[in-house]
Amino acid sequence: MRQAKGVRKGRGRINYLPLLLMMAPGLIYLIINNYLPIFGITIAFKQLDYTKGILGSPWVGLKNFEFLFKTKDAFIMIRNTLCYNLVFIFVGLVLNLAIAIMMTEIGRLKIAKFIQPAICFPAMVSIIIVAYLVYAFLSSDGFINNSVLKGNEISWYQSPQYWPVILTIVNFWKNTGYGAIIYIASIAGIDKSLYEAAKLDGATKMQQIFKITLPIIRPMIILMLLMSIGRIFSSDFGLFLQVPMDSGVLYPVTQTIDTYVYRSLMVLNNVGMSSAASTFQSVLGFILVLGSNLLVRKFDSESALF
Amino acid sequence: MKHNHNSETRFRTVCLIILLIFTVLCLAPFVLMFSASITEEDALIKDGYRFFPSQISFATYAFLWAKRETIGRSYLMSIIVTGLGTLTSVIITSMLAYPLARRDFKWRNAFAFIIFFTMMFNGGMTASYIIWTRYFHIKDTFWALLIPNLLMNGMNVLMVRNYYQSSIPDSILEAARVDGASEMMIYRRIILPLSTPVLITISLFTGMAYWNDWTNGLYYITNQKLFTINVYLNNLMKNIQLLASQSSLTEGANLAGLDLPAVGARMAIAMIAVLPVMLIFPFIQGQLIKGVVIGGVKG
Repeated sequence: MRQAKGVRKGRGRINYLPLLLMMAPGLIYLIINNYLPIFGITIAFKQLDYTKGILGSPWVGLKNFEFLFKTKDAFIMIRNTLCYNLVFIFVGLVLNLAIAIMMTEIGRLKIAKFIQPAICFPAMVSIIIVAYLVYAFLSSDGFINNSVLKGNEISWYQSPQYWPVILTIVNFWKNTGYGAIIYIASIAGIDKSLYEAAKLDGATKMQQIFKITLPIIRPMIILMLLMSIGRIFSSDFGLFLQVPMDSGVLYPVTQTIDTYVYRSLMVLNNVGMSSAASTFQSVLGFILVLGSNLLVRKFDSESALF
Repeated sequence: MKHNHNSETRFRTVCLIILLIFTVLCLAPFVLMFSASITEEDALIKDGYRFFPSQISFATYAFLWAKRETIGRSYLMSIIVTGLGTLTSVIITSMLAYPLARRDFKWRNAFAFIIFFTMMFNGGMTASYIIWTRYFHIKDTFWALLIPNLLMNGMNVLMVRNYYQSSIPDSILEAARVDGASEMMIYRRIILPLSTPVLITISLFTGMAYWNDWTNGLYYITNQKLFTINVYLNNLMKNIQLLASQSSLTEGANLAGLDLPAVGARMAIAMIAVLPVMLIFPFIQGQLIKGVVIGGVKG
């Protein structure tokens, strides 16, 4: 160790200054965009007074959190965030795997070159556009009311009972093709001779899938699952804000932590509640990321983030 | 043996059919949107949105042209923000990544941790908003579209660093240094040209994020002149909702001044907002997929 240092010093040619200068813009950006807000978490424990700034505002301890968790909103948004995420994660996994296996199966056909980008495309458009597309189906002069239901109109944007299903469909419509990519890649890495051997032994396609494909890509499946569980307190802000058109009647089934943070900050102007919810989300998210990574390391230390 | 072969063909056919149905489902909404944008306004109100327009009219696109001062401006704003944002992002990302890939840079692990930590923990939206607006006074400025959240992210930095580490041999750098090249010269003449593939990948992701972004507009922009096309669309939808909720009351009339585009025209605006993505995507999807695989495996 000491010797190595000595050698480096001896050559004395590496001047760190140019390297540090190169890094400066990026580091400054991270400090402002990422680290200042981390210290800004203190806002959640303060009674923010803009005239005094964040540092000058008085501490109020856990008051903001007490207020937040006394409201009905707290339960609703946490329930919604978790329930939607659980469905999105587990049903999503099955759908992603199914698409990946089917894509691999038709991989050699010419038409796969068209299907692959087509099913990924919905993931490429902004959620605003998705909201417009959903509106074209569900509005009062939308496709469903006019061409499918014909007269028995449903005012979708006023009927909360349908939205868990609608949002789930929209989520899978948007993300399934794109989410399959990672599994298509891992299936492509499987040694083909395994399948040849299985075929000679008379294994059916289903047996091949369940006895070869899935067991081999299991580490990847576990890795992706744990990573999504690490994000279980975050939601797709646009999906829950834009697709339901910010319709108040729907809040009981569309409010998630992210939309609550937005609404209490920008619409209700309640910094205390907003920062309490947002801090709750960040801190729990952090704990979950750490926890799920510890698990990843147990299963497959190669894939662990740290 | 023959039986086996048959069942394989059958399985493949079933897969193909399911995937074709899924493909149609993925694309159908866009067809509906396009169809609505070229339907005659009266027919649209009478029959609703349909996959095949009953009466074709391009009046909506003429309307967009007539409105080019607002819509065109938003469109131009999207292009400028996307171009400038992506370019800046790629430059600062690769300049931050390069020293981290240098094995002789003593503090590289400490810096890598500083970057990595931002991927695991964040201060949340409220703190970000207050810092950007109260301390950097970014509200209603062009910078609000460009800087918060989108300009650089830790994952891209680490992806580029990994690329440098694995594909640029130390010996080239050593040789350049012996020849007396400065660090900046090494970066510009050797590192940048050799790392084009990974830089293209991250610029595609970043460009896509900029083009599709509406959250910065939602939080920081109220001035119509600064709207990007997605922010414009978002605002338009908000006004329509407002109108709908007000007209059920009796005072609908005073909102007439909002000058909202007709039903079909809204879809036409949405159509031109996805158009660039639609045109470019087939050419870049291969690169993007590669990026997803690299990013997904390690990061």
